Amino acid sequence: MNYLLASLKSAWEMMFSGNSDLLEIVATTLRMAGISSVTALLIGAPLGVLLAVFNFPGKRAARTLLRTCMALPPVVVGIALFIMASGTKLVYSVKLMIIAQIVLITPVTAGLTESYLSAILPDLKETAGGLRMSKWKLCLLAANESKRNFIVVYLMAFSRSIAEVGAVQIVGGNILHETRVMTTAIALEYGKGSLSLAVALGIILFAIAFVVNAAAALIQDRIGRS
Amino acid sequence: MRKRRSLYLAVTALVAVLVVALTSCNWFSKPKGLSNLDLLIERDAAMINVYSVIAVNPNANFDNTVSREINVVGADAFINWITSGSTLELINDFGKSKYKEQLFYVEDGFVSSSASIPQATADTRVIKLSTTTSVNDSGLLEGYLVPTFEDKYGYDVQVVSAGTGAAITTAKNGNADLLLVHSKAQEEAFINAGNDYARVVDGRTDARIHFMYNYFVLIGPKGDPAGAKSAEDVKAAFALIYQSESTFISRGDNSGTHSAEVKLWPSDSGIGIADGQAVFPESYTWYKSVGQGMGACLVMANELSAYVLSDKATWLAYRFNEKS
Repeated sequence: MNYLLASLKSAWEMMFSGNSDLLEIVATTLRMAGISSVTALLIGAPLGVLLAVFNFPGKRAARTLLRTCMALPPVVVGIALFIMASGTKLVYSVKLMIIAQIVLITPVTAGLTESYLSAILPDLKETAGGLRMSKWKLCLLAANESKRNFIVVYLMAFSRSIAEVGAVQIVGGNILHETRVMTTAIALEYGKGSLSLAVALGIILFAIAFVVNAAAALIQDRIGRS
Repeated sequence: MRKRRSLYLAVTALVAVLVVALTSCNWFSKPKGLSNLDLLIERDAAMINVYSVIAVNPNANFDNTVSREINVVGADAFINWITSGSTLELINDFGKSKYKEQLFYVEDGFVSSSASIPQATADTRVIKLSTTTSVNDSGLLEGYLVPTFEDKYGYDVQVVSAGTGAAITTAKNGNADLLLVHSKAQEEAFINAGNDYARVVDGRTDARIHFMYNYFVLIGPKGDPAGAKSAEDVKAAFALIYQSESTFISRGDNSGTHSAEVKLWPSDSGIGIADGQAVFPESYTWYKSVGQGMGACLVMANELSAYVLSDKATWLAYRFNEKS
């Protein structure tokens, strides 16, 4: 119990101390998670819509492949990207961390969009058939119908990205002032034996995730009303 | 049906081709292991790395509620065994057949234990030993000493390894019966913390039983841009790295190796440790504080053609892997 109390106390102190190292780590974390989740949504969501709407040979295989990719082990992706980038300027950079996250979460955004749409698609097809819509128009209709769902999909992508540690540790190298993010900093504090500091950083990470989710909930409500 | 099967085949083939194409560009053309690195300086008096065993006190004021019984008999048995004359000989011999080099040295004038060692009983069988990654990665314990001890006396030694800081925290939480670590300042802080964490083993006068040592080694890129190899000693070599701003990988994790490293820089460099955190001027982009284990740091140094301070055992283990 005293660990939790000590952690809460140091989390509180850190958040309001304006510790420049902490601010820097939070900034890097947000940059990485923000860019990778938005990119993954921009690639994955249209992919998911297309996959749901169009019928083509091998569709089932493609869907199975996509869902399998949702289970890509981050450490394996990290090692593969590290080997590919080895010897280039990309290695141990935030850019490579972002690429790793995009590889990991694009299947999630595409897969979740596709599975949501395949549930509501029969109804949409009926409407589209009545209006003699083309398949492309149907895509737009489907995208419009899943506006609120995109927010859930985005949150999922953001959460995966901000909480991931295996891949970013390998491709980023956890370099202070360069590639250190919240999760690798937490792993480091644990490695040093500073358990309460590790949990304190975890609490701050949780607080950031809470703010992002609360903002998303507000947007979702607004979309729901309109 | 046939159409679908051919499509599955096509997709599989495409994925396979992609994987091979993406990986082959680096996997097969690049040299493996630590081929960019060389050992530059070793056996410098400033790089001696002393290891100690410390028994945990069952009546300590632990950091959290401890429901398990600290195994005093088992810890004493292991400590008396590892400091006995015949085990010390084993330690001196370790690594000689595999690496053709001595890895660990018993301290000169160390008084070996001659206490009799009891056979394990149901209550004393399991011994929890908290140690550092450098000891464990070298293979000294799990592949060498521990099996010998277990076979002879019937104990079950469970080795948990982490950086020195975490290894000591494990003991402070009551999750270990004894420690085997290598950072004098942190060991003394543990013993003198006022929580009575440590216990003096019968027949010894000090809770910290320092009995063996090895050497840190300075590793650097093949070309040695800073000219560290021709420096007269390790401190001069670190001064050259500092002046030339050559890339240096620091453990940065408050480990024994990190503590040893910060003492080697010129005193005006501003590199150090404060409150367990790595400290250095932010303008030093050549100084990479990476907060990872010894093996990961060696891999990063190899990748970035950087200098790094390593314990000799881990360096040889990684180096040897490459050749096998």
